[in-house]
Amino acid sequence: MATTVSPASFSYVEFDAGTIAALADDLATKIGLGADVPITIEIDETSALGHTDLESVDPVHIRTESGALENPKRLRQFSPEHAADVLGRYLLRAADRRSDAFADAPSDDDLTLEQRTAWDVHSAGRLDRLGFPVNRQRWRYAFRNRHGFTDAADVAFEQLWDGEGLSWADVARISEETAAQNPGPLER
Amino acid sequence: MRKLISPDELARDDRFERSDMMDRIQDPRNAQAAQTSGNRRRGGRLTPDRADAPDAARALMHGIFVGEIQALEGAGRTCYDFEVGKDEEDVPFELKLDMARQCWDEARHCEISVKLSEWMGTGIGEFSENVFLFQAACNPDPVLRLTGVNRALEGLAIDVFNTMKEFGDLAGDPVLEFCEDWMLADEVTHVKMGSDWLRKLTANDKERQKRALEFQRVVDKLFSFGGFRGEEDENPVQLARRFRELAGFDDDEMTEIAELSREALAETEERARLAREANATATSGAGA
Repeated sequence: MATTVSPASFSYVEFDAGTIAALADDLATKIGLGADVPITIEIDETSALGHTDLESVDPVHIRTESGALENPKRLRQFSPEHAADVLGRYLLRAADRRSDAFADAPSDDDLTLEQRTAWDVHSAGRLDRLGFPVNRQRWRYAFRNRHGFTDAADVAFEQLWDGEGLSWADVARISEETAAQNPGPLER
Repeated sequence: MRKLISPDELARDDRFERSDMMDRIQDPRNAQAAQTSGNRRRGGRLTPDRADAPDAARALMHGIFVGEIQALEGAGRTCYDFEVGKDEEDVPFELKLDMARQCWDEARHCEISVKLSEWMGTGIGEFSENVFLFQAACNPDPVLRLTGVNRALEGLAIDVFNTMKEFGDLAGDPVLEFCEDWMLADEVTHVKMGSDWLRKLTANDKERQKRALEFQRVVDKLFSFGGFRGEEDENPVQLARRFRELAGFDDDEMTEIAELSREALAETEERARLAREANATATSGAGA
């Protein structure tokens, strides 16, 4: 498996394409993306923002801004932990989309914030079990923001985090049922 | 114990990493950050419907947390750095009492912020620390120090806390909403202290009052962060007029802060435009 990172060298940020490619290879192997699947990671180093898109799944093409892979404590420096979190979730999303179980998932542009967060939580849980550093409470907080600060949301979070072999129908159902119980803004 | 210590001497454990504001201002990527993407300006008002809202809220709250630590250190230094007296370099005893009360508030805010960080999934020191608040608290003139810290920066804290309180309200997060509401109440008091002492200590010295208000304007503009705080939808943090009014700001002052923020945004966009032009020139030169 050989990941291609673009650009090959960086001038706005102190990133190393080889390090990023090696990390992506390791992630892809552990995630179970086939060895014959070409992966391209395109980094917009001119942007400090952190937006990331899965441009295609065959071949896998992830486009991201440098802020997504940056160390939040050190400006313009690479963070292996952040990169594993971001690239890991997008590689898992690519792997999911390449499987029959997620064939009916809407395109990324059509995902609601609730659905996107539920899928991210399911991916972050799997990354955690693969041994990559993932902040569980951060994802619990994100999930609560989208599905409500309720006991039902916390139960749903655990289902997604611990779930193995979930399909898109499972993820979407858990998200939809939980969001339906979201009490919404506080009433004062 | 020495008086008037520098920001470099603040004690921190190894979880904290300090960042320099100049590094951030000079980041070559700023040229792109200020550019619009299609018809969508990046960022914008911090509300839960933003795709990056939970993480943006975590980062902002960490900034507030380190600000609380520095506010505690600054108020503590103000208690100690000045002698009680009537000379310009001295302060009334009652001002020290106010600063001692503020220390108590800020210590409580630090503890609230630590608990709130745990709730939001943020580690202590997860983001870099900028010591700009304490830098303003190093001014050797007590009036300028209180004007810069208590009116400009604690005023910014009013805007941030009110924005985050509204965020917690809209997201349905009772913990965030309560924490912000309680800290906001204290910040209004701190800003009022700054407003009251500015008027009392400069009642017979209009030149000193003018210098203090000019220092406040400089701090206000600098810490509008190129449009971070303002009254437009594109400003992540909104100017909290009602709470500022309670803290002793009049309408003209608030309108001026909003204008300073617009100026700061325009200057940032102009710098970004020049940087993009410079980048384009360098690229075409390299290709020639």
